[in-house]
Amino acid sequence: MTTATYDEKPKRNAIARWLAADTMNGIKRQRALMGFLFIAPTVIGLLIFIVGPMLYSFVLSFHEWNVFRPPEYVGFANFERLAGDSRVFVSFKNTFILMFMTVAILEVLAMALAILVKRLTGGLLGYFYRTVYFFPVLLSGASVAVMLGYMFHQEFGVINYYLSQLGMEKIPWLTSSNVVLITIALTTVWRNLGFTFIIYLGGVSALPEEILEAADVDGAKGWRKLWSITIPLLSPTILFATVTDVIKMLQFFDEPFIMTRGGPGDASRTVVMMMYDSAFGNLELGYGSAIALVLFAIIMIVTGIQFYLSRRWVFYG
Amino acid sequence: MSENKKLSRRDLIKLTATGAAAMGVNLIPGVKVFAQPAAQGESVTLRFQESPDNYTDIVNAFTELYPNVNIEFVSVEGVDHAEIASKILTQMAAGQPVNIGYAATEATQLYAGEGLALPLTQRALDDQEEMAEYFADVSPTLIEGMMYEGDLYQIPRDFNAAHIYFNKELLAEAGLEVPGAEWTKDDFDEYAAALTGLGSEGDSFGFGWTNRLWGSWTPWFFVNDTNLLTEERAPGGEAIWDTFYADEPLAEGRGGGWRWPAPQANNPAMVEALEYVISLTDRGYAPQAEIGGGSTLEGFFVSGKLGMSIAGGFWAGSLINQGLEPGSFEVQFWPEWKSQRHQFGTGGAWILNGGGGEDEAWEFLKFNTDPDVMLMIPWMASASTTPVRRSMNTAEYWGQTGLENWEVFYSALDDRPDTGPIPAPVFSIEMTNIYTRFTSLATSGEQTPQEALDGMQAELEALYARNA
Repeated sequence: MTTATYDEKPKRNAIARWLAADTMNGIKRQRALMGFLFIAPTVIGLLIFIVGPMLYSFVLSFHEWNVFRPPEYVGFANFERLAGDSRVFVSFKNTFILMFMTVAILEVLAMALAILVKRLTGGLLGYFYRTVYFFPVLLSGASVAVMLGYMFHQEFGVINYYLSQLGMEKIPWLTSSNVVLITIALTTVWRNLGFTFIIYLGGVSALPEEILEAADVDGAKGWRKLWSITIPLLSPTILFATVTDVIKMLQFFDEPFIMTRGGPGDASRTVVMMMYDSAFGNLELGYGSAIALVLFAIIMIVTGIQFYLSRRWVFYG
Repeated sequence: MSENKKLSRRDLIKLTATGAAAMGVNLIPGVKVFAQPAAQGESVTLRFQESPDNYTDIVNAFTELYPNVNIEFVSVEGVDHAEIASKILTQMAAGQPVNIGYAATEATQLYAGEGLALPLTQRALDDQEEMAEYFADVSPTLIEGMMYEGDLYQIPRDFNAAHIYFNKELLAEAGLEVPGAEWTKDDFDEYAAALTGLGSEGDSFGFGWTNRLWGSWTPWFFVNDTNLLTEERAPGGEAIWDTFYADEPLAEGRGGGWRWPAPQANNPAMVEALEYVISLTDRGYAPQAEIGGGSTLEGFFVSGKLGMSIAGGFWAGSLINQGLEPGSFEVQFWPEWKSQRHQFGTGGAWILNGGGGEDEAWEFLKFNTDPDVMLMIPWMASASTTPVRRSMNTAEYWGQTGLENWEVFYSALDDRPDTGPIPAPVFSIEMTNIYTRFTSLATSGEQTPQEALDGMQAELEALYARNA
């Protein structure tokens, strides 16, 4: 393909000619360049802070490196070790249990609250509820974990205090393998509920009124209307909220790290904690990178499965 | 490039991927971890691992004397010394090392053994006249704790030996006095029982502790005449002992630092010690062991929920800052069991080996040995640690806390030559993780002490094998 040139025009250098605005291709190229310039800060940021470290971590996973000595290439040794590491397996199991618990509670609770807030409130009260539910999202995970750690303390915590006032036994919230994951899940739900709630509130607010009114006219009420009309219409929102929450919850760190340090034993140790402990506690940065890589692959697979299955239940209207 | 070639999305992706790959590969093997040496004789910038809140005055005073030295603060926070060491090493991995670090016993051998810290023996000997007064004022026990394989690697600043703190209000309510220095484990047991169930809400515990390396159940196995790891002294160190401690009886028999050649986590004395500590919880005298750095425990002590707890001198000023009145708490030696051997951890500055500006960094370390300079650190001035200088541990210094038995802090070194450091070999961070993990299995009742210590021993043996 050639472009028209005009001898009467002043001579221009190659780039100027390539971007010449007096041709259709030149105009397209200018627009494309403008677009690329606009996204450049984001792309550069992604390259420096996301892609670069990811590539670095990928290469490191095939090395043994303890910071003090140069990295040594070890092939797939880190992955072979990982496959036989029962502690890593336990951390994956804990992470998935936590993920299932928190995502299930989050989605049900956030959707229910969004529907109630949309239905029951308006004006100032609506703003109040939105603010109240969203407020914990603004807090740092560390401070929430410290505060709730005190509240869940077996002997001196306020929760067990009230339970004992009701004549109940004190619960070892943070010191029993049978309970600790539930405690961490509750803490995480409390902190993250607001974000998921806002997503659902947006979805609920965007539901087409004419369809809901038609359902009313047809006599659909209560659970029937919720199950057959509202939830199907909300399915794209449910998909978005579920995918983002699952990705987030597979990266559990703050709460168990601060509240239990992974204990008792490894009962609340998550994959990211395992990665952190290996890389920065044990100075096995290659092994920590291998764990990170496997977690990344698992998140990709889980997300892919979610999108694949969504074709069967997500209704885009 | 043809003038007709479009700048396509694919081209951009290719370009960015290539750039990112180049960036990533450039960072990997053969990476230069350490900063380039500073140009000598010119202005020198030193990255110093401390908080400006604590050290600005000292740095200003130093740079008045050495205007060519610029000191940048690298503030690192952590719940314990192992976590701080992890963060320092992480910064190093990112190509941002410190030139002057501060490490406690937990990381002394890590930095020295991996070649990160500069040996300081020769520098101390070269400046013998300047340093003699400092060494004469510092217990040889602390100096030995900062040695590794015959060389001195850190200049101690403060230390803490594990003692028992008493809440005097609860003691009075129980009709008890602060026990004498020669009290025993049986006495302790009676105190723990008597101090349980008191206070305004009747919910106090006799004793509380934190699951970590220093001041955990570690003092209990020290007084049960054993240790997590076997102990021996490394050869060497004579230059320091002969030069600075020639007439000091406490320096006799010292070596070139401690070695911990093998784990012995599940020996009978260790099991017995852990069983005893857990029995305190089983009998209702102690809550479950806390986790973290001890701040939770401090809060419970201040609020009158604990009759006794473990701490060193650092608690005294800190309890006052938390709101306790001076004189409302007291301190005593750890009780005697099979022995009354105390454990300690000490901390001091180290210099990055090969980081540049070592001469200036050494001058800064020496500057920091002056007692007036030490007292410019706010928490040192408020008696929130135990100064390594004997002469600074005075009635005036500890008087601000109201402690009557303040002499036990330094006496743990001067009158008890068997006092030893917490076990902290080169791989102490990983060792500590194993130690606390299996301890939590025992304290939570998931495993018996024997089972937990058998598991601990197996993992420690594997750790030793990996680091052989």
